[in-house]
Amino acid sequence: MRALRTAASGMSAQQTNVEVISNNIANMNTIGFKRQRAEFQDLLYQNVERMGAQSSDTGTIVPTGIQIGSGVKAGAIYRITEQGTPTLTGNKLDMAIDGRGFYQVLMPSGETGYTRAGNFSKNDQGQLVTKDGYLVQPAITIPQNATDISISASGQVQIVQPGSTAPVLLGQLQLATFFNEAGLEAIGGNMYLESGASGAAVIGTPGVEGVGKIMQAYTEASNVDAVTEITSLIVAQRAYEMNSKVITTSDQMLAAASQLKG
Amino acid sequence: MDNAMYVGLSRQMTLRRQMDVVANNIANQDTVGFKVEQLILEEKPESPAKTLGGPAPVKFVLDTGLARDFSQGSLRTTGNSLDIAIEGEGFFQIDTADGPRYTRDGRFTLDAGSRLTTQRGDQLVGDGGAILVDTQKGPLSISKDGIISQAGQRIGAIRPVQFASMSNLEKMGDGLYRNTSNVQPTPATTAQMHQGMLEGSNVNAIKEITEMIEVSRAYERMARLVEQTTKLSENAIARLGKMS
Repeated sequence: MRALRTAASGMSAQQTNVEVISNNIANMNTIGFKRQRAEFQDLLYQNVERMGAQSSDTGTIVPTGIQIGSGVKAGAIYRITEQGTPTLTGNKLDMAIDGRGFYQVLMPSGETGYTRAGNFSKNDQGQLVTKDGYLVQPAITIPQNATDISISASGQVQIVQPGSTAPVLLGQLQLATFFNEAGLEAIGGNMYLESGASGAAVIGTPGVEGVGKIMQAYTEASNVDAVTEITSLIVAQRAYEMNSKVITTSDQMLAAASQLKG
Repeated sequence: MDNAMYVGLSRQMTLRRQMDVVANNIANQDTVGFKVEQLILEEKPESPAKTLGGPAPVKFVLDTGLARDFSQGSLRTTGNSLDIAIEGEGFFQIDTADGPRYTRDGRFTLDAGSRLTTQRGDQLVGDGGAILVDTQKGPLSISKDGIISQAGQRIGAIRPVQFASMSNLEKMGDGLYRNTSNVQPTPATTAQMHQGMLEGSNVNAIKEITEMIEVSRAYERMARLVEQTTKLSENAIARLGKMS
């Protein structure tokens, strides 16, 4: 019976759905995390009776035909790039992005990665790095004797050195924006790579022409909404159960057929 | 006597197909743009073997077609600027390698040449062919009547189409439909585009589960009918063949 396999495809699609939801819930407190959603697509159809087929010699045709579908598959899992809530941390090297844009990070492979997780640190040479120790681009090197660091909304990094009250401009942070942020490829570690669907990175100054502003001493919380996720989880679980009911029902029908010969 | 068995059998065959259709509806309850389907059954009168050409009191069941309910699915917000839902009648026109296809699934993305495509990579057809975006110019905005603009400039328009008879559409999977008739679609004037939204399926899960229960019970009933008919003939053979 086709219904058995159709329902099995429904169960496995709903399982993918639950996996995506559980990943969202697991990353509820991940800085800069963007929630994902699974979307589904129907599978191939079998034509039992083709529409437009001739039904008599006088040329009448079958108007509707019979097409029986064979189930569902997970079509795409995509990212919802809404802004997360900025959270005050008080750490001078935490920089949340308010609006569009990504920090550029030089990956060990030589590629440029993009991240919204602005919880940066200094390495042993005073360079601004991510939590994995990858260099933030354009590189900012903070001198050992700097007593204070301030980052403006437009990305200017200024330090105060001993013996001087006037701040010194150290560099300018820049952000990359993408035409289609949902098309970026996630590689884990809060990091994304450019892809064909995202479009090429456009480098801009924070706060200018639609690029987001930088908020020092804040981090961007994930945009996972616990209530929405739990509701989706309930919906997915019910859909899973319904598909399993289809399997038991098909099985009962098969049993009824096989008991015909007593 | 045999007629009863064959009538029962014809019902069982249609019930199995009905079950397949219900299973597909339930499996696709979360599929974007999916339209619910139902098997159309008809009675097919036949005359019993001995009275060919005479009155036709024996009525078989025959599945003659599949009805698709094209009513609107619920819209939900996704926040993705390349998701477009159609409200009202109409289909997006997609250019595939096998010819034009039509869909209600508005999850678009960009291909390497910065054209708007489906998730499979087939181009969305606008008023002047493919819709080409400039990825350097910032986000797209799509108006309710389908005009796509970027940085305040019109770069194209989505023109949904509609069919006089939707029963000529054949499902191809992946949310795509094929036009099986020679009648060309016409522009859908009442359709409204909603950017950042998707149309859910119009499957009513409770109705489908109820139908499934009906199908399963009817199948069991038919199995019992066949069983009892067999018993009748068994009894008849046993009694008539008795030597007294």
